[in-house]
Amino acid sequence: MDPTTVAQVIFYFFAVLTVASAAIVVFSNSLIYSAFALLFTFFGVASLYVFLGADFLAATQLVIYVGGILILLLFGVMLTHKLYDLDLKTETYQFFPGFLVMAAVFLTLTGVISKTQWFSRGERPPNPTTSEIGRLFMKEYILPFEVASVFLLIALIGAAMIVRRRRS
Amino acid sequence: MNPEILQDLESFFPEIVLTLALLAVVLADIALPKLRTRATFLVAAVGLLAALCFTIPLFGAPEKALFYNMVALDRLAVFFKGFLVLASFLVLLAAPGSKELSGSHLGEFYALLLGVTLGMLLLASSVDMLMLYLSLEMVSLTSYIMVGYVRHDRQSNEASLKYILFGAVSTGSMLYGITLLFGLTGSTKMPAIREALSSGGASGGNGMTLLVATALILAGFGFKTAAVPFHFWCPDVYTGAPTPVTAFLSVAPKAAGFATLIRFFFSGLSDTTTSASQWSASGALNWTSLVIAVSIITMTLGNIAALRQDNLKRLLAYSSIAHAGYMLMGAAVLSREGVQSVLIYLITYLFMNLGAFLVVIEIFNQTNSFNVNDYRGLYRRSPFLTIAMTIFLLSLMGIPPFAGFFGKLFVFAAAVNHNLAWFAVIGALNSVIGVYYYARVIKAMIIEGGGEEGAGIKLTRKSQALVWIMLLPTVGMMLFWDRIQALTGRSWKFFVG
Amino acid sequence: MIGLSHYLFVSAALFSLGVMGVLTRKNAVNVLMGIELILNSANINLVAFSKYSAASVDGQIFAVFVIIIAAAEAAVALAIVLSMYRIVKSVNLDQADTLKG
Repeated sequence: MDPTTVAQVIFYFFAVLTVASAAIVVFSNSLIYSAFALLFTFFGVASLYVFLGADFLAATQLVIYVGGILILLLFGVMLTHKLYDLDLKTETYQFFPGFLVMAAVFLTLTGVISKTQWFSRGERPPNPTTSEIGRLFMKEYILPFEVASVFLLIALIGAAMIVRRRRS
Repeated sequence: MNPEILQDLESFFPEIVLTLALLAVVLADIALPKLRTRATFLVAAVGLLAALCFTIPLFGAPEKALFYNMVALDRLAVFFKGFLVLASFLVLLAAPGSKELSGSHLGEFYALLLGVTLGMLLLASSVDMLMLYLSLEMVSLTSYIMVGYVRHDRQSNEASLKYILFGAVSTGSMLYGITLLFGLTGSTKMPAIREALSSGGASGGNGMTLLVATALILAGFGFKTAAVPFHFWCPDVYTGAPTPVTAFLSVAPKAAGFATLIRFFFSGLSDTTTSASQWSASGALNWTSLVIAVSIITMTLGNIAALRQDNLKRLLAYSSIAHAGYMLMGAAVLSREGVQSVLIYLITYLFMNLGAFLVVIEIFNQTNSFNVNDYRGLYRRSPFLTIAMTIFLLSLMGIPPFAGFFGKLFVFAAAVNHNLAWFAVIGALNSVIGVYYYARVIKAMIIEGGGEEGAGIKLTRKSQALVWIMLLPTVGMMLFWDRIQALTGRSWKFFVG
Repeated sequence: MIGLSHYLFVSAALFSLGVMGVLTRKNAVNVLMGIELILNSANINLVAFSKYSAASVDGQIFAVFVIIIAAAEAAVALAIVLSMYRIVKSVNLDQADTLKG
């Protein structure tokens, strides 16, 4: 089989996986289904990163999003329901206006995207990115890098402070 | 380490001091269990004062971009650094005296305050979209936490939840807009974006894309400055948050939001072919009309909604939305005069708004209420507070000779001088609407009866001193008028790269 | 041939779905999931443009920072949700209504 066709098939598979699971996240009645569908969305996004040649980013996505944020969200889901409430049903606000907004947003975006001449300096060849990213973190992006560490410190202090049990 | 980075560090002392102070507060909080409250307060205060001292020499520094064009050191940035550190310092002084915060340990609060100040300094000087987004999120995230600081209070928690959900959506949409801009121009740096847009990046079909991208980015800026239609979080969050935090939010992040708005739209989206003090937006974007529309809707909505409020905090929330509308008037005028008018307005706004909130804090301390009906007859209970509040409210109304008048004067003048006299007239009409709800409070305090039952309100020395600190500039600004004009007249210049 | 537009359509779909989630969901954790969808869509944009427009890793580095910020935001948001739950025993946004004035 032609390698480009195989690549195309695999791309479409992952793209559909991503969008379909995102749809489940948004439309499902059960909170647990939403949370697990989100897992597949994150995984699909990571695979898209691989397609785009972003190897470091794909690994980071899996580790942080799936291994961190998703676990945190699951904790959030579990801890905010009484244990015997196994249903975990969620209600929604008026469905229809939200759906209209979503359709409007989607149509606007796709319309705009298809007509645009995006800037192009060429295409980046699929080289490994990790050493390049590491180098840039220490040179051009050193300020955001350091600021991000202070940012994480504050977020840590803040989040811990909010959930700490009150000493009586 | 690169020599360039080391060199840039020399111009970065305010931020470095703030970071060190932040770490010191955290350490002091852990290491000194007995002296925690005093020690953390002192460290934070010293840190902010030191940052202020280090900001002053930066005024004379040559304009340049630091850290590989991430952050700019220009007059505008230095002005805002000084402004924001001062605002944080004043809030720091007000925080321990507030009854709402007295039940919680304040060590983390001071750390968060230092953190948000650091974020705001970076936000006001960012010239790269990545840095802009990072610092915006830093300010926002820390604000979310500060709003929810009183953990056992339901309103504080609710406010915090609403704030973070609304804020995360706004900044997420802003990020999407930034990515579209990245795709249109191939770069995240504002000067490069400007170059690419002027040289045809926005022609033809791309004009629509630029519009969509800008609209999304405006969502983020609108959220930070509480402009319509991104103001929905403002009344609820201002009401539920502890009042010192509300006072802080109404001045500092709003100012930082304006700083970055000016910088982004003027140095990121304007044409490169225009003269030094007048800009025109990239062809596809009718910037002026857009901002004028937002400004009018914002000030009108803020003023009209404030008419019906009995809760002082909610009233001041809508009032601050209206004031953001007046400031947007200055931003709509794409010129040096416009920027200068915004800076002047901010200076006046800082003192009068913080002053008003300070009085609200003191009254709550004694009466446990924010309702205007409980302000009745305040004159009998505390003439000092009543007169101070009256002055602050008169200034907010824009009545001369108080500071607020000058702010409005400059903003209206900027509009008139740029053939937008009708715009200034709408602003003036809005000010008249404003008079009504501010006057309602003054009337309750002075004219209406009801204060005989309450005990006389005694203020601590510290609170009295604080009120004087806010009062003096509000009253005395006209004496130093030429100095302020000169200062802001030099501060509008920003790095164009 | 898979090109830039394919990725942009996927991200536009994710963005729209995220907006839908934010607008229609009542459970705070659900709204948070919508926000994560929005952030991921922006990330896909960044990486796609990084490869096809800027021809460098700049977009990818931006994406790393977005992931960092998203993680911190999720942590703080969940902390606030938990704190709210302790007091009100529910994270239904309908219950967050004492502030209406």
